[in-house]
Amino acid sequence: MDLLTSLTQLFQSGLGNLAAYLAAHVLLCLVPAFYIAGAMTALIPKETVTRFLGRNTPKFISYPAAALAGSVLAVCSCTIVPLFAGIYKKGAGIGPAITFLFFAPAANILALAYTGVAIGPDLAFARLFLSLTFGIGIGLIMALIFRRDDASHDRTTDTLFSGRARLSLGAVVFLLVLVALLLFGTLKVDLLTNTYGQLTLPVPAAAAWEDRLNQLVPFDASQGEEGVTVQGVALIGLLAFIGGSAWLGFEKRLDVLNRWTWTSLSLVVLTLLVAALQVTPAASGLEIALPGRFFGVTLALAALALIARRAFSRQEVSDWLWESWRFVKQIFPLLVVGVFAVGVIRQLIRPEWIQSLAGANTVLGNLAGVVFGVFMYFPTLVEVPIAQMFLSLGMHRGPLLAYLMADPELSLQSILIVSTIIGRVKAWTYVGWVALFSLLAGLIYGAWTDGVSIWLLAGYLATLLAALAAGLYWMNRRNERRALTAAVKGTRVA
Amino acid sequence: MLTIKVLGSGCPNCKRVEAITRQVLGKLGLPAEVIKVTDYNQIADYAVLSTPGLVINEQVVSAGRIPSEAEVTTWLANAAGE
Repeated sequence: MDLLTSLTQLFQSGLGNLAAYLAAHVLLCLVPAFYIAGAMTALIPKETVTRFLGRNTPKFISYPAAALAGSVLAVCSCTIVPLFAGIYKKGAGIGPAITFLFFAPAANILALAYTGVAIGPDLAFARLFLSLTFGIGIGLIMALIFRRDDASHDRTTDTLFSGRARLSLGAVVFLLVLVALLLFGTLKVDLLTNTYGQLTLPVPAAAAWEDRLNQLVPFDASQGEEGVTVQGVALIGLLAFIGGSAWLGFEKRLDVLNRWTWTSLSLVVLTLLVAALQVTPAASGLEIALPGRFFGVTLALAALALIARRAFSRQEVSDWLWESWRFVKQIFPLLVVGVFAVGVIRQLIRPEWIQSLAGANTVLGNLAGVVFGVFMYFPTLVEVPIAQMFLSLGMHRGPLLAYLMADPELSLQSILIVSTIIGRVKAWTYVGWVALFSLLAGLIYGAWTDGVSIWLLAGYLATLLAALAAGLYWMNRRNERRALTAAVKGTRVA
Repeated sequence: MLTIKVLGSGCPNCKRVEAITRQVLGKLGLPAEVIKVTDYNQIADYAVLSTPGLVINEQVVSAGRIPSEAEVTTWLANAAGE
C-alpha cells in the first residue's frame, strides 16, 4: 500500500511538472520560437553568411561571421555538421569552424527563449554572451595549436563559398515581427501586464473545477511549483487538436498547404490568443481579463498574416510551415517525456546532495556541473527543465551555467561525429577546451551573481582574449617570416 | 539510366527529397538508380554546405532545402534528355 501511495505521488509530481511546462507563459514563448526557427531555416538563404567563410576572408571577418552563421543558420543539425565540415575542409579553416560549432547550440533561438522564460533572462543572456566570447576564444586557440594542419590544407579558393544571395526585405520584417510576438507574449513589463478590459463568462462551476484540478495535481507554491488551471486544461486540449491536424496536414501529403494545415494554423492562433488572456475562476463565473499582451499578440499575428500573404510566394510559405513542423515533431515529444521524467526524478533527489556539491560558486561545484553536462546526453531543450530542477533544489547559478554550457555543446554522439571530420586528437583537444571554458564561464557568472563588479569581470575577460589574440598574431608573423626565408633560400639555390 | 544521389544523414528533410524524387521519376516513367549518401566525408566531397542535397548524374542540383516537384521534374527531364 505504501509503495502504491509513493508511486501515485511520483506520477502526480510528473504530471504537475508537465502541466506547469505547458502553461500559458511557456506556450507564448515556445510556439513563436518554433516558428522563428522554421523561418530562419526556410527564409534565410545560406549564401548570405557563408560567403564570409571562405579561405581568403580576413580573420576579423571570418570569426564573427562564423558566430553569426551559428546563430542564424544552424538551428538544425542537418546544417551544423555539413557546414562545419565545409568551413574546416574548404573554407576559413579550423578556427572559424570551431567557433561556429561552439556557438550554434548556445545561440539556438529555441534554447535561448526557453531558458529566458523558464529560468531567467539573466542566465540566457550570460550564456549567449559568454558563449560568443569563448566560442571565438576556443576557435583562436584551436587555430593556434593546429596551425600546421591548417596550412597544409589546399590553398586554392573554392567556389563553395563564393555564392551570393540576398535576404529579402519581407523575410527580415517577418522575422522581426515573429520576435516581437515572442517578446509581447513573455516580457514582464507594466504596459503588457496591465489590464485594459474585463469580462465575465457565466460559468459558475469554474471555481469548483479548479478545486478538483488542484486535488488531482497538488502543488506547492512555495517551491515554485505551479498547479493546473482551467485555462491550462483548455490550452492542453487545444495543443492536442493542433498536433492531430498538423499531423494530417504535413505527414500524409507531399503538398503541405492543404485544409488540415490551415486548420492547425488557425488553432495555433487561437491557442496564442487564449494563452495571452488572464483567466481567474470566481464565484460568479470565469473572470477574463484582457492584459496589454493580448493586444500585442493580436497585432503581431495580424501583421504576420499580412506579410505572409503579400510578400511571400506559395513555396516560401509552405517551406516555412514545413520547417516549423519538422522542429516541433523532432523536439516536442521528447520534451514532453523529458519534463515528465524530471518531475518524477525531482522527488527522488534530496536537496542536501545538490547543495553540498554545487550550492556555492566553487571550482569543485562548477566542475561537477561540467562533468554532469559532458556525460549526460539529453535531447534538445530538455536541459532547460533539468537546469530548473537543479535550481529549485538549491544549486548555485554559477555551476548551473557551467552545466548549461557544457551539456548541449558536448555529448558523446557529437564528439564522435566531429572526430570523423577533424580527427580524434583535434576533437578531444576541443572537448578539453570546452570543459575548461564552461568551468570558467560558470565561475565568472557565479561571481557576478554573488555581487562582484561586472566591470572587473569584463576586464579579466578582455585581458584573457587580448592575450590570446596577441599570441595568435605573433605565431602567424613568425610562421610567415619563416616561410619567406625558406622561399628566399629556395630561389638562391635555384 | 540516371544516377540520383540524395545527400543527408537520414533527417526528415532528406526522406522528403527522396519521396518527391521517386514520385517524379514514377510520373515521368524514367529508369533511375536512387542512392542515399549518409557519410559526412562523402557528402563534403560534393560542393554542399547543408543537407539535404540532390545530385543527378554527379551534378549537384539543389542543397539545403526541399525542391518543389516542378523543379525536380525539370531537372530530371533535362538530365534524361542529355
